[in-house]
Amino acid sequence: MFYKLVGLRGPLALFLKLGILGGADAFMIWLISAAINKSSFIIAGVVTAALVFINYSFITKGSIPLKFLAVGLVFFSIFVVTPTGYTILMSTYNFKTGNEIAKAAAINELINNGIVSDSEGTAYDLFLGKTSNGNYAGILENQVTKEVLYADEKGVRPVGDSEISRDISGYITGADGIKTLTDEEFANEDAVITALRFPLGDGSYAAPQGSNVAARLIQSVVYDPVTDQLENKELGITYVDNGNGNFVVKDDPSTRLEPGWRTYSGFDNFRSLFLDEKLRNPFIKVFIWTIAFAFLSVGTTFAVGMALALALEAPIKFRRFYRGFLILPYAIPSFMSILIWRGLFNKEFGAINTLLGLDIAWFDSPWLARFAVLLVNLWLGFPYMYLIGSGALQSIPKELEEAASIDGASEKQTFYTIKLPLLLQILGPLLIASFAFNFNNFNIIYLLTGGGPTNAIDGEVAGATDILISYAYKTAFGSNFQDLGLSSAISMVMFVIVGTMSMYTLKKSKIMDTL
Amino acid sequence: MSKKLGTNHVWKHALAISLVLFTAFPIYVVIVTSFDPTGGISTNSLLPVKFSFDNYTLLFTDPRVPYWAWMKNSFIIATATAVTSVAIGAAAAFAFSRLRFKGRKVGLKALLLIQVFPSFLSLSAIYVMMEQVFLITPTFGLGSIWGLYLIYIGGSLGVNVWLLKGFLDSIPLELDESARLDGASVPQVFWLIFLPLAAPVLAVIGVLSFIGTFNEFVLASLFLQDVENRTVAVGLQQFVGGQYVDTWGPFAAGSIIASVPLVIIFLSMQRFIIGGLTAGATKG
Repeated sequence: MFYKLVGLRGPLALFLKLGILGGADAFMIWLISAAINKSSFIIAGVVTAALVFINYSFITKGSIPLKFLAVGLVFFSIFVVTPTGYTILMSTYNFKTGNEIAKAAAINELINNGIVSDSEGTAYDLFLGKTSNGNYAGILENQVTKEVLYADEKGVRPVGDSEISRDISGYITGADGIKTLTDEEFANEDAVITALRFPLGDGSYAAPQGSNVAARLIQSVVYDPVTDQLENKELGITYVDNGNGNFVVKDDPSTRLEPGWRTYSGFDNFRSLFLDEKLRNPFIKVFIWTIAFAFLSVGTTFAVGMALALALEAPIKFRRFYRGFLILPYAIPSFMSILIWRGLFNKEFGAINTLLGLDIAWFDSPWLARFAVLLVNLWLGFPYMYLIGSGALQSIPKELEEAASIDGASEKQTFYTIKLPLLLQILGPLLIASFAFNFNNFNIIYLLTGGGPTNAIDGEVAGATDILISYAYKTAFGSNFQDLGLSSAISMVMFVIVGTMSMYTLKKSKIMDTL
Repeated sequence: MSKKLGTNHVWKHALAISLVLFTAFPIYVVIVTSFDPTGGISTNSLLPVKFSFDNYTLLFTDPRVPYWAWMKNSFIIATATAVTSVAIGAAAAFAFSRLRFKGRKVGLKALLLIQVFPSFLSLSAIYVMMEQVFLITPTFGLGSIWGLYLIYIGGSLGVNVWLLKGFLDSIPLELDESARLDGASVPQVFWLIFLPLAAPVLAVIGVLSFIGTFNEFVLASLFLQDVENRTVAVGLQQFVGGQYVDTWGPFAAGSIIASVPLVIIFLSMQRFIIGGLTAGATKG
């Protein structure tokens, strides 16, 4: 009876429900129409799907669980699942600097790059202007043969002297049907003008090199869509698609044409990650440090945090102060603390060198930099371990301790043989979660050392303190060379490791049994 | 006996005091630096030599440093993210904990797995996506805090469901069963029974989400290009991002102002947060 009267079924509740749903619908419909206006059909499609899905789940009587999950699922699919899928897909792609664009664009660029000036260096004096319908046209005078041609983007034809006028020095200054360019037009359309190509009828072009000179250019590279081959007619070389995003010389596949294009490459990224020495060695180095870093981070923070939890377990003087003060590192925004620590470690003005009277460049030496990373992570992490450690201590039944001490065990023995194993069992899942967190702890590396020191002379990407995630980040978004394919492959390796760990923990902790 | 207790306490105090010093060291330096008008981070000595509020006034007067705008952005985006993600997380966790439906186990496992995927490498995918959205509506696209907000709440389902579900499972099933017998609908169980009971845990998750968003740096620095639109994390990082060695003073002052509200929130919620953190552990 009670539930009939209270909330959620009355007209007000219905009104609210419809109001919120209606508002959301209105917003989404507005978004869809805006997207269609800008012809972003993918976004329009995605939002339409979301609109249908949300309305379906809220209006139909059918699935109650869906009502609770619908909104979350929509955001999750758009902003988590889609990008994740993209990364997985990219790990099977050859997608790096030099292979970024689509094949059609690459061919286009290669053809454009294949326009070269002819071997005699033929040049024309040019009078450039516009026809009455606004198209560019010009009069070309061959600097050697003095042949005069009318040229526009359709082609050329000879013109007689009567149609043109010249100044005293003999330069052409006007022609029938061509209007002189104003200074303004000339200044504004510079890019258009230098991109003009007047076909000379024999496969070559006259291209303006400025306002009054044109050069003869030859289309040396042509693409044959039937055979999917490029041919350089000047050099007499044929290029074939190597199946991996580049055209290569037919007889010498190691000579590639740039640019290439992004293309499906199967497991090549993984293969080169594990087999190509140039990639494998830094990968293994980074991998080992990642494991060591995550392991040592958990180990040191747990040891210190647990010791503190034991020290503060029984009431001692100043306990409240210790407790309140020592969780500060956990409460202070971590990006700030990390940046502050970076300042403290600075060689010239850092407080650590000042305090110890040293003059050490901490971040220039691999081992000192690694030590610094671990020290800062200890500072950031021990309060958390203290918090969960003291929580776990409280949950251990006091009878166990009493029983042990009655049996004559010393305090030390009780701790190592009874408390510690119990603590590890209780905290196991959290420690593994902490390991996984540090495994992917991008912020501390990126903000503290930037992954360095890096042996830049050898052109290495990976620095001494780089962990997999910062290495993958550098690989994908580095300043000189970017390899999204390889970076995605590294992400996949990380995913397998952390995913396996998480699933193992779930099984171990028996959470799944109670699902 | 009491003497023995005393010696026992020595190591405890020694440990605690050394940790207090360790903890205090950067905090002390940052405070001193914030009052040092020369702008360096402890140039000569660790003791304060000069004292002024120059660095603080700079934050609020220099037009190149819209510090208030940054703080406002951070608070708006962190609050909005916390509220939304708690709402989404609570509803989803309720469904996963209390309702039985096809694909529930698979869904839970999939959520966990996708969550551990190092997905910020798909930055470029998200970037392209938000670029497109920007063309349609700049309010939610690249460069706006609301666009960033959308991305943040995208991940909230995965993070919070597992945390919350653990807690929900500990609420006895009999409670909702008896309510159902009394004629309550499922939404009523959610609003009238589950929400009041879970309120403290939801608050903890909200605070953790707030702190997490406040701290988020990578996405924010990539997305928020306009100086006015930055969050505190991105704005302050620019001070010490490499080019300016001499701007540690304003950075320190800005850090302190930004930290104070977070530390206060954290300390006042401390009891609940610790409860929330250990809830997962003690049940394992």
